[in-house]
Amino acid sequence: MKRRALSVGIAVLAIVLIAAPFDAAWGASIVVSGQLLAYQGGYVFFTSGDGFRVAQDVVIRDAKTGGTTTLKPAPRIWARATFDSSGTVTELDLSRTPLPPQGSFDDVQRFAVAISTPAPNPDLLAYAPTPGPGETPLPTQQFSGRPVLVTFIVQVPPITPFTSSVYITTDQSGWVAQAIPMDRVDALHYQITRRYPSGTIFRYLYDRGSFQSKEVAQNGLDRTPRDFIVPDADVRVIRDTVYAWNDQSNGGVNQVQPQIMPTPYNPAPFPNLPPGLPPPRPPP
Amino acid sequence: MPRIALSAALTTLMLVVVRFAARAETPAPSASPSASPAPPPTLLYLSADRVDFYYDRFLLEADGKVRLRTSDGFTVTGDAFSMDLKLNRFTVAGNVTLHDASGTVSGAAISDFLDFRRIYFVPVTNEPDRWTFLDGDLAHPAKGRVMPGDAFYFPSLPQQPSITGTGAIVGAKTYVRFINSHTYLAGAPIPLGSDVVNFSGNQYFAQNTLSGATVDLTWNVAGNDNSLTAVHLRYDPTYHIYLALEQHFVGQHEYAIFSVNPATTDKKWWNLNLYEKLGSRFQISSFTQYYAQQDWLREPRAAQQTTYLNATYALPHSYLQATSQLTNYNVLGPGSLQVPNTIAGSLDHPSQVEITATSFQNKVGKLPLFEQIYEGYGFNHDSVGGNQYLQGSNGVPPIPTPGLQAYGAPCLDQHGAKHPPVYFCPVYTTIWNTVLGFNFFTPALKLNNPPSPYGTYYFNASFNKQYQWNSLPHWISTTSENFSISRQFTRALNTYLGYQILNIGDHYINGGYLPCEPVNSFYCPLSFTSFRGVSTMRTTSFGMNLVPSPEFNFSLLVRHHVDYPIPVPGVFGLPPNNVLGQPLYSWFLGQPPYDMTANVRFQIFPHALIDVSKTLYWYGNPYRTQFWQPATVVQVLPI
Repeated sequence: MKRRALSVGIAVLAIVLIAAPFDAAWGASIVVSGQLLAYQGGYVFFTSGDGFRVAQDVVIRDAKTGGTTTLKPAPRIWARATFDSSGTVTELDLSRTPLPPQGSFDDVQRFAVAISTPAPNPDLLAYAPTPGPGETPLPTQQFSGRPVLVTFIVQVPPITPFTSSVYITTDQSGWVAQAIPMDRVDALHYQITRRYPSGTIFRYLYDRGSFQSKEVAQNGLDRTPRDFIVPDADVRVIRDTVYAWNDQSNGGVNQVQPQIMPTPYNPAPFPNLPPGLPPPRPPP
Repeated sequence: MPRIALSAALTTLMLVVVRFAARAETPAPSASPSASPAPPPTLLYLSADRVDFYYDRFLLEADGKVRLRTSDGFTVTGDAFSMDLKLNRFTVAGNVTLHDASGTVSGAAISDFLDFRRIYFVPVTNEPDRWTFLDGDLAHPAKGRVMPGDAFYFPSLPQQPSITGTGAIVGAKTYVRFINSHTYLAGAPIPLGSDVVNFSGNQYFAQNTLSGATVDLTWNVAGNDNSLTAVHLRYDPTYHIYLALEQHFVGQHEYAIFSVNPATTDKKWWNLNLYEKLGSRFQISSFTQYYAQQDWLREPRAAQQTTYLNATYALPHSYLQATSQLTNYNVLGPGSLQVPNTIAGSLDHPSQVEITATSFQNKVGKLPLFEQIYEGYGFNHDSVGGNQYLQGSNGVPPIPTPGLQAYGAPCLDQHGAKHPPVYFCPVYTTIWNTVLGFNFFTPALKLNNPPSPYGTYYFNASFNKQYQWNSLPHWISTTSENFSISRQFTRALNTYLGYQILNIGDHYINGGYLPCEPVNSFYCPLSFTSFRGVSTMRTTSFGMNLVPSPEFNFSLLVRHHVDYPIPVPGVFGLPPNNVLGQPLYSWFLGQPPYDMTANVRFQIFPHALIDVSKTLYWYGNPYRTQFWQPATVVQVLPI
């Protein structure tokens, strides 16, 4: 009976020791590092939004040297905070550059001061899957931001001149018409590969070097830019079709080119014949 | 008179089409209330000791005595400000005060997620708290709500900002205008004063009227949601270093763009581009260029003008397009032809109008083949004609025509001129034309099915045939056939082999081209003797692209032309180039039998590529002549 009681007592003691926070059990401090949001009114705030009480005799040191510092706790400054067992910050080591991660704010969450009781936020939804091309992301869509190789392959109209250059213009580059030059890969296709962080949302159009020669919709009107969201993938291939160019209508007369006066209508298709050749005429 | 009639007819046509388009888009009367218009974009007025902008990441950062006033009705002060312009959210932190109509509250930080209409605030009254303002309601905070984990995130910043100032006006998702700003060139500050960064999703802000340039440094002096004023410092091989000015006015469905380029040389191009989309089926646009040779804004020595007008009406499976081109080669009139002002140019002013119907691209049955057909009717008029101004000096009246095209024997009456240029009569001042054409093409067809996609060969082909009948009477047929086989060998390397045949026939119903004379002279080599207006150009092309990384690209194009007429060095003129030195046309008679173009492109700055290309032309036996493209085409491209 005694042996059983002793065993139970030891087990209970062991459970208590394991379950109790190490620091609280032994009166040790907790150290976490992060970026400061504010330092005012006896509180220090981190970018997590949490505010913690600061001891009146808080020690402020240089995080690199451990000595005195001219830095003052302020927004953007990185800090290593030492909490005592009551959750008060007793020491702040400051740095202008990011400090190595240390501790976790989950461990000191219970010390954060807030008047109101935490309430759930219905805006914060669960993770949603990566959308496909043309799909609109949910407002809470999450992406890792990893670099993704995106290959654009475009089929151009058959009347595109063989030596034409084709470009992609995007809102990411301020709609610069020659932002992304493409390479001809066969009689009808151009291609280019670019690297974008996943989650990048951009709108784009194809053009031939200027907005005078941008693509138009199949119905001849100005087309709405295409939307694209870079997914979390290693590679994504986008295949598009350009139906017509703005400056090159089938059989049309308009060849709008800035700083070039059009030649008068000339039904003769050979403009550079040698001077010895008389113009066409009826037979004598 | 025909010009006036033409203008009146055009205007009437446009008005009729606009009326129909507008009527088509007019909503039917409805009993239900109409939706309220979208709220105007939020404006932020920011001032601080220092405001920095980082172009790479579209970050706006401010420190020291931050004061922010928003068009949403509140003012915030604090120690630091951070805004991600793309995510459209900002944070103010450190000794924050929030002031609105209901009063002032102190706090540690405030963050506004503009797109979601959520404001997260950490007030400090007796103790800190967490408040969330919903939908712009600052009077009733939701207290204690859990906030997003990154609500008060400060981004890590690159070393060097792109722009620094003491204030900024932010039009949400559209633009930032910096006050007392300077930018940096190789680390040295360059004062700008007012500077605008436009990042609007509206692509019409990028619609421009400028020609290409080797380098273009743009300073956006002023701007807002609907306008942008820019000064460009540019270089190109033709005009060298010069300034250009450009003004944008932009709406959701329309734009107007005005520019002068170059603005600081005696050769100026004034440009006006207008566009309007009326409803979902109709759009109209115009582009007018006015070229003047003038010192500053003094009376020009020469002036030309051309206007392009385009109207497009979309149909369910095709579209109608009315295009016109009105050109005046001498706006100054006959007086400008007198010595010493004879550089003013010819007095002809051709007009063209064409209406074209174009089908969509349609699949032919179940075949891997697509077709497209188009037909157009055109009117072309020029009562004066080119080159007559040579007769106009020294009091000799200009010869009234030769109009668009002469076709016949030498004219007898040349107004008594002793040695006039030889013109041919009759002269056609008006030519009607009809165009009919069709395209056939295949998408990329797989020729094999290997286990690796890098072993796949693709075949492409296209065929275009076009007839143009003129009222002269005269007709032109153009046939173009293209074939290519391509393969992607690795992710970085692809190649293709192409073959093109281009046939152009310039046919007259009666008569036509005569033999070139004198035979076997320099301009009439034997190989050209049998030319009667039909040319055939066969081109074999080999292309290769090497793209080891997205930041580097090398491409090579080697072509062999087997043409008729056979090219002879010096006999055929070379085609004109644009201001960068690139040929304006993709083919021309007498092109050298071989050419090779190398192009290399690589990143030189985080936001700039350099693109260099050069072409070598050479003739085979028996001439063995070779020459380089006169200019190396160099362009610095912003990315």
